[in-house]
Amino acid sequence: MALRTLTAEQRQALTALRESMGGISEDKRKAQKQLLAARKEIAKLLAAQPSTVPQIAEALQMPPHEALWHVTGMRKYGKVTEAGEDGDYLLYALVSDDAPSAGGHSSAEGR
Amino acid sequence: MNTKISSDFKPDAVVVGGGIAGLQSALDMADQDLKVLVVERNASIGGHMIALSKVFPTLDCASCITTPKMSAAAHHENIQILTNTEVQAIESGDGVHRVKLLQKPTYVNFDKCIGCRLCEYACDTEFRDRFEEGLGAVRAIAVPFTNAIPQKAVLDAEHCLTCGTCARVCPTDAIEFDQKPRRLTIETQAVIVASGFELNSVTLKPQYNAARSQNVIAPMTLERLLAPHGPYGRVLRPSDGKIPGSVAFVQCAGSRDESIGVSYCSRVCCMYAIKQAMLLSGALPLADITIYYMDIRAFGKGYEQFFQNAKAMGINFVRGKVARIDPLQGGDLRLHVETTEDAENPMQERVHDLVVLAQGMIPGWNPAQISPVACATDGFVATPSLTAPTATTAPGIFTAGTAAGPKDIVDTIAEAGAAAMQACQYLYQKREAALVG
Repeated sequence: MALRTLTAEQRQALTALRESMGGISEDKRKAQKQLLAARKEIAKLLAAQPSTVPQIAEALQMPPHEALWHVTGMRKYGKVTEAGEDGDYLLYALVSDDAPSAGGHSSAEGR
Repeated sequence: MNTKISSDFKPDAVVVGGGIAGLQSALDMADQDLKVLVVERNASIGGHMIALSKVFPTLDCASCITTPKMSAAAHHENIQILTNTEVQAIESGDGVHRVKLLQKPTYVNFDKCIGCRLCEYACDTEFRDRFEEGLGAVRAIAVPFTNAIPQKAVLDAEHCLTCGTCARVCPTDAIEFDQKPRRLTIETQAVIVASGFELNSVTLKPQYNAARSQNVIAPMTLERLLAPHGPYGRVLRPSDGKIPGSVAFVQCAGSRDESIGVSYCSRVCCMYAIKQAMLLSGALPLADITIYYMDIRAFGKGYEQFFQNAKAMGINFVRGKVARIDPLQGGDLRLHVETTEDAENPMQERVHDLVVLAQGMIPGWNPAQISPVACATDGFVATPSLTAPTATTAPGIFTAGTAAGPKDIVDTIAEAGAAAMQACQYLYQKREAALVG
């Protein structure tokens, strides 16, 4: 995806918006770092082998409902797909980057 | 559809709320060649109905009914729609209503946005999606949902990290970080209040322990789980993604109960629970599905047959009252039930994977403090006339749908048509009087 450079007016407006929000809080930054770190770890785990939500939760030491939420977001934006069942749980696998529908587009359609 | 309406725009009628009631009223008035402005506080029109899976008693797809109405309203030459806009006051005098509006910034120029979602795909900030009842994820800039109208991206300033990536990928330069809230006053002859309902909280009754278990869920949450494009793509329980093998419905969990301030019947819970149970039995053929109820109120056309069909399908109906729900290790739930069906053993304990609490319908908006419209003791818009059931206490202001009290979709649509007809009649009488005068 081509990234353009922001114009001076856009940068100024962005700064003004950030200031109107009182800046970006430390909590917000921390939450974003945790989100990206969790997604990276889950992707690493699923790249190694398809896993269920309880397996992901155990491997990453996070509550299962949080693991499910991350997998749900990754599935929506095309990073993860279902890969069968293991007992009462679904298996999730990482979508490879070169797969035809790997982008966010396909899954974002499916809301 | 227009998102930039000037203050001198003078519609014949303003409809407050872009759910199924508001859209039906607007379409019926617009078809009578009246100019209508629909004001919706959310980013898309469609209301609760667009989030439903299917409707009772026909089991028709809800979005297959709602989406054409949304589209028809958006493309009608006599209808203008303002989304992300709240009504702050309605001042009435001399037969004119001045509707004061606050349009919140979306940070996206809707005239330029083509709904391509490149901004959404480029954004890496995600948070819990309110449309998916918190089960799914949505990005800080996103089109609200697949069949949202308008099909435009909206930036959520509360979660945005102001990285600017959306503006860097937008092919039409639609991102406008300098948008500000906009206040406008619209003068109109008639208003229809179609502000809908909310459901009260699943945590209202502490003995049901919804605050301690993700598996005690609200009916709208189950609607999203059942929807074909729901957050998980299938029915899973929210605590750990397990495919549920046993699902319970607890009826009258948020209404017919003075202890939580909702003494009235919400009128739709019996039927949507039966509908959801039938849909679950299709989605989870091996699951046991039980509805704990005090009495089944299947009063509408075809509803009793629908209830009988559910029993014939193998849905378990247990007459009694659930006293307490205890979360168990591993996510299951133990229900303490007093049933009238077993005289020798009325106090029973049963374990389920997932429990749905039938929440009570409460008003979605209180116009009483900011307009001449009075509310009844239950908080819904008062409709004092038996012969004009959509008339409010204020001349020229009408109401439709669940703004006036709990009702199902069939009754809502019928009432929306009635409100439109009464508003038309009011407007034509005013025009005639002006001509004669």
